[in-house]
Amino acid sequence: MKYLSLLFLSMLSPICNAEKLPIFDAHIHYSHDAVIQVPPAEAASLLRKAGLKKALISSSDDDGTQKIFKAAPDIVVPALRPYRRRGEISTWMHDPTVIDYVEGRLAKYTYKALGEFHAYGDDIETPVLQRIIALAKQYDLLLHAHSDADAINRIFETFPEARVLWAHSGFDRPDEVRAMLRKHKNLWSDLAFRNDQASGGKVPPEWRAAFEEFPDRFMVGTDTFAPERWYYISDHAEYTRGWLKDLPADIAKKIAFENAQTMLSLK
Amino acid sequence: MRLLRLLLCGLLAELLLVTPVLADNTLLLTQSQLSQLQAHGPWPPVIKPDPSNRLSGNAEAIEFGRRLFFSTRLSGDNATSCVSCHAPEDAFASGRVIKNGLLELDRNTLSLFNVRFNRWFGWDGSNDNLWAQSMRPIVSTQEMKLPKQALRKVIRESTFLRSYQHFFGEISAHDDDLVLVNIAKALAAYQETLITKKTSFDKFREAVANKNWTNATQYPESAQRGLSIFLGKGNCSLCHSGPLFSNGEFHDAGVPYFIRPGVVDKGRHQGIIDLKKSPFTLASDYNDDLKKKGAWAVKKVARQHSNFGIFRVPGLRNVANTAPYMHDGSLETLEDVVNHYSDINIERLHADGEAILKPLNLSSQEVADLVSFLQSLSE
Repeated sequence: MKYLSLLFLSMLSPICNAEKLPIFDAHIHYSHDAVIQVPPAEAASLLRKAGLKKALISSSDDDGTQKIFKAAPDIVVPALRPYRRRGEISTWMHDPTVIDYVEGRLAKYTYKALGEFHAYGDDIETPVLQRIIALAKQYDLLLHAHSDADAINRIFETFPEARVLWAHSGFDRPDEVRAMLRKHKNLWSDLAFRNDQASGGKVPPEWRAAFEEFPDRFMVGTDTFAPERWYYISDHAEYTRGWLKDLPADIAKKIAFENAQTMLSLK
Repeated sequence: MRLLRLLLCGLLAELLLVTPVLADNTLLLTQSQLSQLQAHGPWPPVIKPDPSNRLSGNAEAIEFGRRLFFSTRLSGDNATSCVSCHAPEDAFASGRVIKNGLLELDRNTLSLFNVRFNRWFGWDGSNDNLWAQSMRPIVSTQEMKLPKQALRKVIRESTFLRSYQHFFGEISAHDDDLVLVNIAKALAAYQETLITKKTSFDKFREAVANKNWTNATQYPESAQRGLSIFLGKGNCSLCHSGPLFSNGEFHDAGVPYFIRPGVVDKGRHQGIIDLKKSPFTLASDYNDDLKKKGAWAVKKVARQHSNFGIFRVPGLRNVANTAPYMHDGSLETLEDVVNHYSDINIERLHADGEAILKPLNLSSQEVADLVSFLQSLSE
């Protein structure tokens, strides 16, 4: 009877594991307004409730990241966003005071990434972006870029050894994303705020082909661009576990967790 | 020479499209805008019965529905009726706080005027038909609080029984769900009759369509200027489109959606979850239309990340009479609403989300003009 129970439990175990697939959420922000409306203890509890094993978190300004890192150091992987407020998204690359801010934070705190930042095309050639790339090199940081393919190419032209996480996979088509991943071996792609990689829990053929060709390069993310979206992290994790079931288990595990861990040298 | 003529013709056409109409020397809209505004009519639209509801358009059933609508018997405390939140004198709408604070809801109460023209119902579209939507407040523990199991007893012991059995047959043969659906269909039949009247905007639109410039010039100049912003630089008509001034879908209007600390209104995200779980959609056997027209929508609709915390675009007809505004009733006046969009906080919007929303920086005159136009949509 004891053996029967053990057998039953061992049969159940893979199912439980599949349901509780650990998630590395590679696209979370905890900005100044979120800090007020979702205090750090509450935010940390939301990360745990979602079953996140790790989360790459940045904020505008950076105080939010420091606060959530303090509240959940076992989960939070800090990234430095070069914005003091979210509203700087389209102007920061022309503002040299950004550099003072970024350098000041880098001197004071430890990070694994710079970003998520928004830069398109020849924005990369601006002195501010060039300095950001140089700082990534100096501090060995991943660059989390919300960019078009042109900007990604320019980052690698500037610094061929850069490690880049392409936010939202550039909202490009899967064949275009694959072409970029072929071109740049140090490029990873997050699937945050995209819906096309799965519909009704099923992965369409064009995305399946991308995941099969590059099983080590994709990861997931919620993108909490407004404070209320912290309450979406849990729903998003469940949604992620749902569609990943449509992929082979080894690829699902990589996209859910392992790729982000490898990318950030956390193993 | 031919080239010059062509060039001049092109220039003339361009001028006609972008400059104010000079034919009558008074209208303040461009030819293009006069053409564009035709899409906001005619009003009222052609009325067709709802095939999903066998009582739709039936005069006797409408009267039965009207009696139910005004009755407190459909509430658990026998003190609340549909009218408590949808009073005729308040344009069948109300705010979030009802009955002097006795009833406090999480959302602003939508007007029932023109409700029959919706594709999705409520702020979150958790129903795809009017009768299913009419069931919701009856059994809601926040609103009328009448469990569906108690409804049969209420009907059996009231003067409603005769009408019920006249339209639906012996009540004892119906389960609790069917009794609730049937009552809701009578309520829906009544609500279908709530249609706003023609407004000064409609008269203007018709006058323009008929090239009756004398009548068209009766439309106030401030409303014309406001309409020009609505169609032009405000781009309001992109979402507030068609005769209803709504595309019937769901968008991020940059309005916060915390209900209270620690609780958010998930909006369309939860609406789709509830819709997919509902046994009362157009795809169900409760639909009286054997062809199940319109059921494709509930089958096809899929959740998207952007659905979280977004709400249905409300129609603007009668808008001056339905304050407060937005899903949570957080804006008291039409001026507040216009100022909200004029100074919209783009920090709340995703960089690849509602790309049409950007601060308009309207002058106080432009705000007043836009409000004047919105008032012209009201009786």
